[in-house]
Amino acid sequence: MFWTVTTTLLKGFGTTVEIFALTLVFSLPLGLLVAFGAMSRWRPFRSLAHRGGFAKKLSGFRPVGALTNLIIWIIRGTPLMLQLIAIFYVPGMLGHNIWKGNETGRLTATVVAFVINYACYFAVIYRGGIEGVPVGQREAGQVLGMTKGQIFFKVTLLQMVKRIVPPMSNEIITLVKDTSLARIIAMYELTFTGYSFAKSAGITWPLFYTGVFYLLFIGILTILFNWVEKKLSYFRV
Amino acid sequence: MSILEVQNLNKSFGKTRVLRDISFSLEQGESIAIIGSSGSGKTTLLRCLNFLETPNGGSIRVNGETLFDAADPAAQSEKEIRRKRLHFGLVFQSFNLFPQYTALENVVLAGGLLAKDKGSAYTGTPAEIEANARALLGKMGLGEKTDLYPHQLSGGQQQRVAIARALALRPDILCFDEPTSALDPELTGEVLRVIRSLAEQKTTMIIVTHEMAFARDVADRVIFMDDGVIVEQGAARDVIDHPREERTRQFLSRYAEG
Repeated sequence: MFWTVTTTLLKGFGTTVEIFALTLVFSLPLGLLVAFGAMSRWRPFRSLAHRGGFAKKLSGFRPVGALTNLIIWIIRGTPLMLQLIAIFYVPGMLGHNIWKGNETGRLTATVVAFVINYACYFAVIYRGGIEGVPVGQREAGQVLGMTKGQIFFKVTLLQMVKRIVPPMSNEIITLVKDTSLARIIAMYELTFTGYSFAKSAGITWPLFYTGVFYLLFIGILTILFNWVEKKLSYFRV
Repeated sequence: MSILEVQNLNKSFGKTRVLRDISFSLEQGESIAIIGSSGSGKTTLLRCLNFLETPNGGSIRVNGETLFDAADPAAQSEKEIRRKRLHFGLVFQSFNLFPQYTALENVVLAGGLLAKDKGSAYTGTPAEIEANARALLGKMGLGEKTDLYPHQLSGGQQQRVAIARALALRPDILCFDEPTSALDPELTGEVLRVIRSLAEQKTTMIIVTHEMAFARDVADRVIFMDDGVIVEQGAARDVIDHPREERTRQFLSRYAEG
């Protein structure tokens, strides 16, 4: 029985890792884009600044920044489980069945919900990391004739990465456990697989046994984060 | 013809006028020290020359080329500014070395990027750029420190790397923004010695400083600024030893009292 349970749980663990990895692959870069959006200083009506009243207020309006921050507020302000349900069911309720009812469809919906959610959390961390780099670093790059892109990739990026390793490792570890929310749309990830034994075979220990898988996975991640931190310890910010 | 001509430069932050009708010129090989109390606009003036701030009025000409003219904002595209600002080099008060690069990499980085850019006037093979950087660091007395990271260097050594980094791009005019203000007193000497030797080699420089004795000995001319205006300018020894203006006298006497 133990081996049957273990191999079945391993299959569920595979799905967990799949959700985890796909979410990271897409949300890490998307989060950077969201961070740039939230920091956008683009003011299309800035030419109205010299007028009075409403026009003056309008001149300071940053549409991209405002919209991005609104999205971040909504995503961080509602439960991930609710977002998952909304993304999976609402298109169908509106008559657009974009997710196929099979496992691929459910996995895609899960990853979409997770990517949006995690991109917003990562964006806030990225933003803190970028804004934490002293303005003098950017100015030094500027007076040396570097372009904005060169300054970001050659100067800011690595300093930002070093700053955000601790908060990012927290968030990524949370992601591992958040994958268990996918059971709400019947994804056979690790927790749901363990739970299903209670229904089908009337045994509860497989559910608690899943904890070992989570612990091992997060143990490996922790070693990885420590390694990254050590790799970046050759300089100080 | 003067290498630098600044005319009627004005800069305001909101309603505060930080620079009012600043005009001065600089000859090739000349070094000029700008003195004045905190908030007098010295640093803002340097930042305007290096395109870190955009003046609200006036013009900046280098070698007869108009780099900035407030009346012609169309010429201020990012690309144009990147080209124009390379006439100037800037050494910051807080060094601003890139912490993830060694001393050598700090000096090499920008030159390497510029040399790859076909539109830039800066040329050189990677080997030439590195050899030049090593020579500069050697001149700064840091020949043994090329492979150390900024946090492994003292403040004085970091500032000397920053000077080498600015010199590597061969600017026409090298600007110093209070280069020793962030240093422990026992470390200011080594940085001032380097600047002094640059002056002896006729490097064209603008030095914002609180070191009066240094300004008097090293600079050819001194500009005294107060409240955003140039109160007095002239030969270094004249201004510091025999100031004509009352405000200059007051400022210098506060310094003498220490």
